[in-house]
Amino acid sequence: MEGLATQEQNGPTFPMKGSTYQPLPRGTEHGRVLSHAVQTIKASPEQVFNIFNRPELLPTWQEGVVSVTATGDRTHHWVMQDPGTGKQIEFDAEVLELVPNKKHVARIINGPFESSTDTYTFEYAPAGRGTLVTAISDYKVPGGIVANTLGKLFTRSPEQLTIENLRHLKQLVESREIPSVEGQPAGPRGVVGKWKELLMGENLPTPPGTSDRARSRDFAEENIPPFDSTPVLLGTVAAVIGLAAWYGVRKLR
Amino acid sequence: MKAVCWMGTGKIEVQTVKDPEIINPGDAILRVTRTAICGSDLHLYDGYIPTMESGDILGHEFMGVVEEVGSEVKKLKKGDKVVVPFTIACGNCFFCAKDLWSLCDNTNPNAAVCETFYGYSGSALFGYSHIYGGYAGGQAQYVRVPFADVGPIKVESGIDDEKVLFLSDIYPTGYQGAENAQIQPGDNVAVWGAGPVGLFAAASAYMLGAGRVFVIDRFPERLQLAKDYCGATVINYEQTPSIVEALRDLTGGVGPDSCIDAVGMEAHGTDLMATYDKVEQTLMLETDRPTALRQVLQSVRKGGTVSIPGVYGGVLNKLNFGAAFGKGITMKMGQTNMHKYLQPLLERIESGQIDPSFMISHRIGIQDVPDMYKIWKEKKDRVTKIVIDPFRETGIDRLHAV
Repeated sequence: MEGLATQEQNGPTFPMKGSTYQPLPRGTEHGRVLSHAVQTIKASPEQVFNIFNRPELLPTWQEGVVSVTATGDRTHHWVMQDPGTGKQIEFDAEVLELVPNKKHVARIINGPFESSTDTYTFEYAPAGRGTLVTAISDYKVPGGIVANTLGKLFTRSPEQLTIENLRHLKQLVESREIPSVEGQPAGPRGVVGKWKELLMGENLPTPPGTSDRARSRDFAEENIPPFDSTPVLLGTVAAVIGLAAWYGVRKLR
Repeated sequence: MKAVCWMGTGKIEVQTVKDPEIINPGDAILRVTRTAICGSDLHLYDGYIPTMESGDILGHEFMGVVEEVGSEVKKLKKGDKVVVPFTIACGNCFFCAKDLWSLCDNTNPNAAVCETFYGYSGSALFGYSHIYGGYAGGQAQYVRVPFADVGPIKVESGIDDEKVLFLSDIYPTGYQGAENAQIQPGDNVAVWGAGPVGLFAAASAYMLGAGRVFVIDRFPERLQLAKDYCGATVINYEQTPSIVEALRDLTGGVGPDSCIDAVGMEAHGTDLMATYDKVEQTLMLETDRPTALRQVLQSVRKGGTVSIPGVYGGVLNKLNFGAAFGKGITMKMGQTNMHKYLQPLLERIESGQIDPSFMISHRIGIQDVPDMYKIWKEKKDRVTKIVIDPFRETGIDRLHAV
């Protein structure tokens, strides 16, 4: 007991063992996209996991999810919608590992994203900081790495999707809503304004967060804005010029 | 409704747009009774803050009457008169709990964009570019206020709008500028910029125990306000060979204990470095002109404190960081943690300790706003602060003879 008191007063005794940083997976490998996100959520692991683990709540905080329905003990049927084209994508997923309040691993078993895996871990964060949540995604992306790069430019890359979805979970748990400026008034945007909007992913629907902003309204067929191709064309031109310039600079060196 | 829109660099237009609606359950819609143009709106006007989109509704200093509330709003109801802080905070995250409201984790829908620029994203702001959330601002007839139970402060005393309007930004910003200066009783405090934030910082410095306050600017009407309302010793830098020398001489060879930069990224000056900054910014070699900050770093005494309420956006060149290190100074800065100051500063106003409306020089209608931005930028017409009644079409009242 005396030793403990001294330690509390003066901090730990040295030598003290440290550890080596191990990067979490990120990047592209064999046509797959690996990404991760980390957030500290100000709630207990139980509270976070309770919201995370309810399939019917997934459309309220994950981007582009229309519905998730249980089809068995460990299987779910997902319906997602591409915000750009309005096309619906359906697939099934199975839970590979589930440790309540600690870990959740799920894999997509059919459809265009077949074999994509999501691993979420939940750890108690000390000093009243809440829960440390780590999300690791291993995506099989239709169109491969090129699609990921294009996604980065124009909508959401799978990589960014992992980051944004975990951010939305944090927002929902901590503040009971997901911040949005969707549908607010603005003056005429013009071509440049629209192009900037697209670059920042602002044309993507924000998940509703709570039942107040019902998914059906956000995704109602008639509410899908017609796809404006002007910014994409401009963007492609900009991307080509950028690539050419980059190539030029490389050659000069 | 009518709203003041940013339509490109140097281009402000009044547009008719649709009325705002409740988006999230914590939202409220206000009918704006008074709004103002902020000095930091000029950074948008001049195109120095990236990620503005044409059509963006400007304005982050406003107050109004609650028209409608979302289903989760508990503290506000229709008809309440409120002043809205310009930073948007969730009230529940790690940062809000630490009173660091302007660093809130959960209010910026474009946090990813801000992360690319700054590493992490602070709170969203009203009408202040998409990197700060892209929320429509309050230089409009109606405005949507998210997290309505967290931000807006109710004004129930029937006090004049103009006396409390500046709780929305500049009074708390000036006050935090003084608080960040870590003033000890009797300290010498120097304030760069006699704009609204500088004037409030000067007055607040005395409230926090300063012995003497010096204010540096070049516009006689602003220096006059600093002298007449804030008790400052004023220095016109255009008539002063060296600010460092002036402050050294005024502080017994020691230098000011605290220096407050209430100027920010678009500083003017008469010295060589001012010209250097102007050239570099024009050539896009630096985003900000830290002319005032350079003088601050030279002037502050050894072991002193530098407080920066002036806005900086990006990259500064050849800033003498050695001066900061060599003198062992403390630097404190950032957007204002508005929510922390609203109640105590409202009490100071209601008790009559300060009447913030002293700096108002112009009262205008909404159609006058585009012209006033130009006058505000060029500091013509003895302008010191512009207040807008968004429901008045036009008509400029000048409170001082020109």
